Formats: sequence, structure tokens, C-alpha cells
Amino acid sequence: MKELVNHMEGINRLLARYGVKFGIYKNGTFHEQLFPFDPLARVITSEEFDYLEKGLIQRVDALNAFLRDIYSKQQIVKDGIIPEDFIFSSKGYLPQCQGICPPKEIYSHISGIDLVQGKDQNWYVLEDNLRIPSGASYPLIARELTRRASPKTFQDKKIRDNRDYAQMLKGVMDYVNTGGINVVLTPGRYNAAFFEHSYLAERCRAVLAMPNDLMVENGRLYYQEYHGKQLVGTVYRRISDEYLDPLCFEPESLIGVPGIMDVYRNGHVALINAPGNGVADDKGIYYFVPHMIRYYLKEEPILHNAPTYLAFYEEDRKKILDNLSRLVVKDVSEAGGYGVVFGNALSQEELNHLADTIKKEPRRFIAQEVIDFIDLEIVEGDHTVPRKADLRAFVLTGEKTMVWASGLTRFSRNPDSFVVNSSQGGGG
Amino acid sequence: MGIISLEKADQLLWLGRYTERVFTTLSSFFKYYDKMLDVDEEAYKKFCDSINIPSQMYQDREDFISTYVYSELDPNSIYSNMLRAYDNGVVLRDEISSTTLSYLQMSLNCMEKGAQSGAILYDLQPVIDDLYAFWGCLDDNVEDEECRNLIKCGKYLERLDLYMRMDYPYRLIEKEYNKFANRLNKIGVAYSLAEADRLCRIISLGEDWKNHYQEALNALWNMF
Repeated sequence: MKELVNHMEGINRLLARYGVKFGIYKNGTFHEQLFPFDPLARVITSEEFDYLEKGLIQRVDALNAFLRDIYSKQQIVKDGIIPEDFIFSSKGYLPQCQGICPPKEIYSHISGIDLVQGKDQNWYVLEDNLRIPSGASYPLIARELTRRASPKTFQDKKIRDNRDYAQMLKGVMDYVNTGGINVVLTPGRYNAAFFEHSYLAERCRAVLAMPNDLMVENGRLYYQEYHGKQLVGTVYRRISDEYLDPLCFEPESLIGVPGIMDVYRNGHVALINAPGNGVADDKGIYYFVPHMIRYYLKEEPILHNAPTYLAFYEEDRKKILDNLSRLVVKDVSEAGGYGVVFGNALSQEELNHLADTIKKEPRRFIAQEVIDFIDLEIVEGDHTVPRKADLRAFVLTGEKTMVWASGLTRFSRNPDSFVVNSSQGGGG
Repeated sequence: MGIISLEKADQLLWLGRYTERVFTTLSSFFKYYDKMLDVDEEAYKKFCDSINIPSQMYQDREDFISTYVYSELDPNSIYSNMLRAYDNGVVLRDEISSTTLSYLQMSLNCMEKGAQSGAILYDLQPVIDDLYAFWGCLDDNVEDEECRNLIKCGKYLERLDLYMRMDYPYRLIEKEYNKFANRLNKIGVAYSLAEADRLCRIISLGEDWKNHYQEALNALWNMF
């Protein structure tokens, strides 16, 4: 560990050399900054990883089964496991996707599951990200560079090799491919995660495509070359559902590919991940994931949810309103760490205002017990300090569901904060 | 990959042009800087005139040195051209590889550090070194010939343009023209045959090409 810290400067130099950056918009202007890397590695023992792996595979398999069900028979609703209203009022549910069966019936090919470890040593799932979970490229390249900058660390310790993410991803892309080339579709150079889009395209030997490079002709999707066109079989799209196809979703989208949804609907292209997955990573639906595991897999959940209350249910709503000052309240329509409020940080006036909003729009909110999750040591200047940190695990589903033996640990910059998102200044 | 869109073809060509623009203008700046030390304090004016930059943009030698090299606000500056090279390169990672791109990134990083030691030529030497490495790496790493041809076509087009405007000796202009024409024949992108013929005819005049200076530049500029 000390070895890595001693080589921090060298590692950061290599990160700068390879332009490992992410973008943020400040006052309407795009800025890129180097990914903040902390050399103190998070250690997950092999035993612990095996446990997480089982739990994550179980969870993602259930989520995929749920998506398959919701966009076809909706049996889970008919059987009364999840209230109908809860599905159809979700912003992530897309009626345009009803009845579409994606290639190989896989909806969430890449799932980013956010976990924290409590001080009781238990792991809790905080969030499932099944739309466009980002961040895998950072630990991937960081491992390459740390091995270069500090070989002794890897010589002396038994560390699982995590440099196979691109092969895993390529395997998934090839598995669902309907015939044609694999492309990574990026909204463009000024997207916050552009480094990741271009790096993964390179590593997976896929073509990095801008929206204008793709076109639909005679019911097929093509990549337009300067002297011809190539049939496309898989699109790993890094564009949100609502902008993906102006003919199907947001009509004013300039970054979409007109007609791509028709090609997908007819089974002539695979989209990674499937549009409409937002219904399963809705913060409200999160509450029901353990129910899904029991319902679809007939198994007991291996990983725990953080204790959660749904304001939608009267009994839970009362519990939330009675305990507002000690709970964390989340707006289900927000992401990226936004819309998260810690009750203990609010004044009485703010608490009253929040209570009124919850009463008016109960579907919009969930509340969770604050998990006192463990601190990890990070380097700050020339000493180490404890900071809250989570772990985003990447689970890939192709021929089978696999957990990448790695993950992105994001830590809070602020000693008093539980918010770890990179978009809010967190590091990794 | 061998799968290049029209936009990528354009970016490959411009990547070649901008990296070359940085390289040649910086190399030339090195020579003029040396001259400005103790021979001619206003030598930069001649440099500006040669590449059509209004020299009155700069108040004096010091202003020229800092603004022309490092300013993001000066669209003619070496730094602005470096940014354009980077903007074209960064969207081509899947074509040219992260390793090749890293040399462009290091050139940019070096310029962004700004003047470090007060010895500007010393501070900027890594930019030249990294660009040499960038081109070498490109040859070594990029398997696709079309891709290499497009970048090199852009590179030699820019070099020829600058050499002609900076009044380089004819033997160098002829040499660069031959390299350019060789790539032009291989790129497979539409270009004006009439302009290519016109340029060929002018260059074949030898030292007399200068009598057709503007026509030669126009042919080059209207090639694509």
C-alpha cells in the first residue's frame, strides 16, 4: 500500500499523459479535469468478493427478469407483487418499448450496482444503475498505470487481475450482435464521459460513432463510411433513452438516430442497454428488488437493501414524516447525487417544507435509514484522512451474468459528506 | 479498423494539418526567437508577415513571445493550433490508439504548463520531441493504411503551404511536394484533379515557381 502512495506522483503523471479526464459543465462552459485518483487501494478480500459476486449476479438476473416481464406479460403486477401504479407512473417506464423483445432477451447488459459497507461489515445496495452506468474505464486504466508505476505492489501481493473488462464487454457485444459491426455511440466530444466512450471503443475494438455517422435504411442500421456503409449489429449507446431516436422519443433531439428504434423493435440491432431500463432502476422500484428475487428466482436475496420506506404507502409515509429529521430522503426522479437530502441537515422550516412536498407528491420520494458506512483512508496532501466511500460494481450480462473483479470506489471530498459522486466533486 | 466515416476522414486530415502547423510554426519561432535576442528585436514582424498574421496585433517582442506562443485568446497562436490538433485527435482514439494520442496529450500538457524556467526554447523543446514521437508512433501503431495516408496527406499539405509562404528553399518545397503528391494519390477521398494538376505544373517550373506563388497557394487551398 505504502508502495503505491510513494508512486502517487508517477501515477498522476501517467494519468495526465493518457488524458484520463471527465468533463463538467460550470456556468454553461465545458471544463475537463483529470480524474482524481487516490493511491490508497480499497482491499476487498477474495472471500468477500465471492460473496458479493453471488449476490450481484442474483440481483442483476432478477432485474433482467423483471424488465423482460414488465415489457411483455407484466405477470409481477398481475400477481400483486408490485402495484401497477408504481410501474406506470415511473418516469423510466417507456410505453414505446412495450412488447419489444431485445436480442437474446437481455435488457441490462451492463449494470452498475452501487454498494456501501456498513460499520457492521454488512454490504448494502444503495442503487441499481441499469441505463448507462459509467465509470468502468477509470479503474481499468488506473490498474494499467499503477502496475507500470508500482510493479512491486503487484509482485508482492496476490491481486486479482482486472484488465479483462474490455474483453468481457466485447464478449457481450458479440453475443447479442444481430450481424454487423459493433459501435460505441457517443453524443460527442463534449460529453462528460467522452474519455470513457473513446477508450472503451478502442479497447473493445469497436467503432466510435457520432450520431451523424449512423443511418437507417431499409429497416437496417448502417455506419456511413466515406466510401460505403457497414451494417451495424450492436450499438453500445451512451445516449439517454429520451434522445436516442427523435422519431420515437424527444422529437427535438439532435443527437439521436432517426428510426433506430424501429430497427431495434424488429430485432435487427442490439442496443446496450435496452431502452426503458429506467423503470427498474427507479429509486422507488429499488424497494421491490428483494421481492423480485423471491418472485422470479425463488431465492432469498443475498445482498441487502438499505432499509427503505416508500412515501407512496400510507404506513411508510407516516413513518417518514414522524422521523424526517433522522432519515435521508431521495427524490426518485433525480440522479447523480442530486435530490438527496439528509434530514439532520435541515432547519425546522426546511423540514416542514419537505414534509408538505412529500404529502403532496408521495410517489416522488423514498426515505432511507442513514447507513453509517465505513470510512476509507485517502491521501490528502502529505497525510491520510478518513472519508466516506461507496463501491460501484459492474455486472455484465451476455451468455451468462458475470461480475467484473474490480469496481469504482468513489469517495467524498468533504469530511462531513456522504455524497461521493464524481459530478459533485468526489474522487476515485 | 478500416471503417472511417466522412467526418473521421476530415478529422484525420485536419489532425495532420494542425500537428504540422504546430510543429513548423514552433520550429520557425525557435529561429526567429534566437534572432530577436541580439540581432533584430523586431524580427517577429517578418515572421508574422510571412504567414499572414497582422504583426500590429502584438505590441512588442515580449508581447509576441507570450501571446503568439501561449495565448488561448489569439486564434493564430501555437497554443490555439495545438488545441485544434488535440480536438481532432481526441475523437480519433479508436483509430490512432491511446498510445499515439498520449504524445499529443503530452505536447498539450507541456504548453499548458506555460513558461517554467524563463528559457522558452528549453521549455518548449518537449513539444517538438513529442510531436516527432507522435508521428513515429502513428507509423508504428496504426495498422490501417487509409488512416495513415489521410493524416500524412494533411501533414504534407500544411507543410507545403507553410514552406511556400515562409519562403523556404525550392529544394525543400519540391521535396515536400513529392511527399504530398504521393499521399494524395492514395487517400481515396475526393479532391480536385484540376487543382492537383495546376500545382504539379507550377512546382515543375523549378525556382520559377515563385512567379506563380499565389496561384500555387490557391491550388493547394482549393484541393479539397
